[in-house]
Amino acid sequence: MTGAAKRAMVAGLRWTSLRLRLVVVFAAVALTAAVSASGIAYWLNREAVLTRTQDSALDSFRKEMQSHAASLPALPTQSELQDTANLMANGKTGYSVLLLGEREKGKPVAATSDSDDFTLGDVPRTLQDAVNDRQELSAGNSAPYHLYWQRVERDGKPYLVGGSRIVNGGPTGYVLKSLDKEREDLNTLAWSLGIATALALVGSALLAQAAATTVLKPVRRLGDAARRLGEGKLDTRLRVSGTDELAELARTFNKTAESLEKKVADMSAREESSRRFVADMSHELRTPLTALTAVAEVLEDEVDSLDPMIAPAVNLVVSETRRLGILVENLMEVTRFDAGTAKVVLDTVDVADQVTACIDARAWLDAVDLDAERGIMARLDPRRLDVILANLIGNALKHGGSPVRVSVRPNERDAELLIEVRDHGPGIPVEVLPHVFDRFYKASASRPKSDGSGLGLSIAMENAIAHGGTITAANSPDGDGAVFVLRLPMDASAPAGGASATGANGGGTDPDADGPQDGGESGERREGSAE
Amino acid sequence: MTLVPFLLLIEDDDAIRTALELSLSRQGHRVATAATGEDGLKLLREQRPDLVVLDVMLPGIDGFEVCRRIRRTDQLPIILLTARSDDIDVVVGLESGADDYVVKPVQGRVLDARIRAVLRRGERESTDSATFGSLMIDRSAMTVTKNGEDLQLTPTELRLLLELSRRPGQALSRQQLLRLVWEHDYLGDSRLVDACVQRLRAKVEDVPSSPTLIRTVRGVGYRLDAPQ
Repeated sequence: MTGAAKRAMVAGLRWTSLRLRLVVVFAAVALTAAVSASGIAYWLNREAVLTRTQDSALDSFRKEMQSHAASLPALPTQSELQDTANLMANGKTGYSVLLLGEREKGKPVAATSDSDDFTLGDVPRTLQDAVNDRQELSAGNSAPYHLYWQRVERDGKPYLVGGSRIVNGGPTGYVLKSLDKEREDLNTLAWSLGIATALALVGSALLAQAAATTVLKPVRRLGDAARRLGEGKLDTRLRVSGTDELAELARTFNKTAESLEKKVADMSAREESSRRFVADMSHELRTPLTALTAVAEVLEDEVDSLDPMIAPAVNLVVSETRRLGILVENLMEVTRFDAGTAKVVLDTVDVADQVTACIDARAWLDAVDLDAERGIMARLDPRRLDVILANLIGNALKHGGSPVRVSVRPNERDAELLIEVRDHGPGIPVEVLPHVFDRFYKASASRPKSDGSGLGLSIAMENAIAHGGTITAANSPDGDGAVFVLRLPMDASAPAGGASATGANGGGTDPDADGPQDGGESGERREGSAE
Repeated sequence: MTLVPFLLLIEDDDAIRTALELSLSRQGHRVATAATGEDGLKLLREQRPDLVVLDVMLPGIDGFEVCRRIRRTDQLPIILLTARSDDIDVVVGLESGADDYVVKPVQGRVLDARIRAVLRRGERESTDSATFGSLMIDRSAMTVTKNGEDLQLTPTELRLLLELSRRPGQALSRQQLLRLVWEHDYLGDSRLVDACVQRLRAKVEDVPSSPTLIRTVRGVGYRLDAPQ
C-alpha cells in the first residue's frame, strides 16, 4: 500500500504544481491589469485635482492682485503694503500672500499676510527670476510680466508657490497655497486603488482555482483510468461528455483501451489454443505410451534369451520408451503449470528423510554428500519436493560431477527452508545463467547433452514457485562448480505462500488445516473444495 | 484366497488392455478383461475375481460409477488406472471406494507390486482380538463387529483399522500408515490415507462427522482411541 500512497502523493504534487502554475498566471494577469488601470486612474486624478486647485488659487490671486495691489501707490508704505497683503489673503482661498514694493527708490519694503509661514525665503530663486524677468512686448506677448507658479515641498508638505508683478513699477506679489489636503485626498485614492488591486488579485486566484479544478478533475479521472488500465483492468473506460479537448482526450483513451483489450484478448486466445494443443497432444500420446511401456517391460524381461543381434534393439526400444514416457510426463506437467491446474498436496514431513529417500531411490547415495539434520519438519508436497530434488541433483551429477553436496538448513527467521545443491564441475557460463530455468534451453555445445527432456530445471522451478518458494542458480564464489539454492516456505499453506495458496486449497487434502482437532471431516471438505 | 491371483481388468483401449493383460499374465496373475464398465460388472458377478484393475475413463458408465456399484455389494480390492496423479480423478476415485491408484503410463512391475500389496492386506497375521467401545476386532477371523453386527470392510480398511488398533492411543502419521497399510515408498499419496479414514469412519463411527474412535491428530495423522 505504501507504493500506492506514494504515487497518490506524487500525483497530488503534480496536480498542485499545475494548479499553482494556473494560479500564478491568473494572478500575474490580474496584477498587471489592476496595477496599470489603477496607475492611470491615479495619475489622471492627480492631475485633475491639482490643476483645479492650482487654477482656482492662481485665478483668485490674479484677481486680488488686480483689484488690490494694482491700486496701491507706486511707492507704498509698509503699512499700506501690509494692509493690502492681509486684505488679499483674507478671502476664502486659504492662501498666504507676500507683497514686495519700494518705499522710496532703492528702499524695498515687504509685507506678508502670515509672517510665520511665508517669507521671501520660501520663494524659489528661479521663480523670483521668472517673475521679475521683463519681457519684450510683441504680437504674441501682450504684457511685460506674467504669472508664474511652481510646486515646492516644505517640511515634507507640498505647496504651490505663484508670483506676479504689477506693470509700471507696481509691487510684486507672491502666493503660497498648501496642497496638503489634495495630497491627503490623493493618498486616500491610492489606498482605495491598492485595496481594489489586492481584491482583484484574490479574485483572480479564486477564479484560477475554480478553472484549475474544472480542468484537473477530468485530468485526474483520466490519470486514474490510465492507472487502472496499467494494472491490467483492460475494460476500463471513461465517460465522455462534451466536445472540448478533454472529451476528445477521453475518447482517444477509450479507443486505445479498447484496441489494447482486443489485442490482449487475441493474444491470450492464441496462447490458450496453443497451450490446449500441447496439453491435448501429450494426453493423446499417453494412451499408446501406456501400452508401449507395458509391452516394453515384457520384452525387457526376455532380453537375456533373445538373439544377441536383437537384444540391443530391444534394449533401445525399452530405454527410448522410458525416455518418451518421461518427456510426455514432463510436457503434461508443464501444461498443467501453464494452465494453473497444478495442485499442491501438502503433508508434514521430515525434510532430511525426504531428501535421503529421494537420493536413495535413485541409487545416488555414493555420489551425493548429504548434510541434513533430521527433525526439520516442513509442510509441503513431498512428491513435488522429490521432483525438484531429483532434477537439481540429477542436473548436478550430470553436469558437475560427483561429489555433489546437498545441504539442508532451516532459516528460522524467515520461516524458510534452504536446500543447497552444489557440484564441483566447470560451473555455468555467465551468459547461460539467466536461462538455466528456460524450457528446452540448450546450454552450449560443449556442455554434455542431457538425456532428460530439457524441461527438468524448468519444472523444478515451477514446483518451487507452486510452493511459494524459488530456486536460484549461481556459480560458487571460489570458482569450483555451480550452486543451486532451493528456498521453500516451512509451511506452504501459510498465507505468505502466495502462489501456493491456490494450489494448496485446490489440492484440498488437508483435513488438519481447518476444523477442530477431532471433528475434521476431511471427506466433506475435500468435496467442497474439489468442486 | 487362491494361489494364483485372479484379476479383472476393465479398460476400454484395446492396446492398453492387451498390453496390460500380457504384462500381468507374465507376472503370474490370471486375468479376465472387459472393455466397458457394464461388461466388467457382469464379469465380476460371474467370475468372482480377487481384485479389479479399473480404468477411470470408460465409455458408458465411468470408472467412478463402476467403483461405487461394486462397493454396494462387494468389498474386494479395486485399483484405479488414472490419467494423472494430482487431479480430481484421484480424489473422486478414492472417495468412490478405490483402494489404490496407479498413473498411466504405468509400468507392469509397479502395477504388480501394488496388486500384491493390496492382496496381502487381507491376510491374517495374528489370532487375538481387541475391543474399542462397541467395536470388536477379531484378528483371527479377520472380522470386525459393531454392537455384535458384522461390518463389511474392504481389505484396505480392515488393514488400516488393524494397524491403528495395534497401537491404541498412539498417533500414526500418514506416511507411516502409507508404509504399513499400502506398502508405498516415501512418495505415497497422503490422500489415500485421508480417503480411507473417511470411509472407515463412515462404517465404524456412531456419528462419522464427529468421530470418537478414529481421531485426527493435528499436524501428525490419526490414532485410535477407546471412547470414554
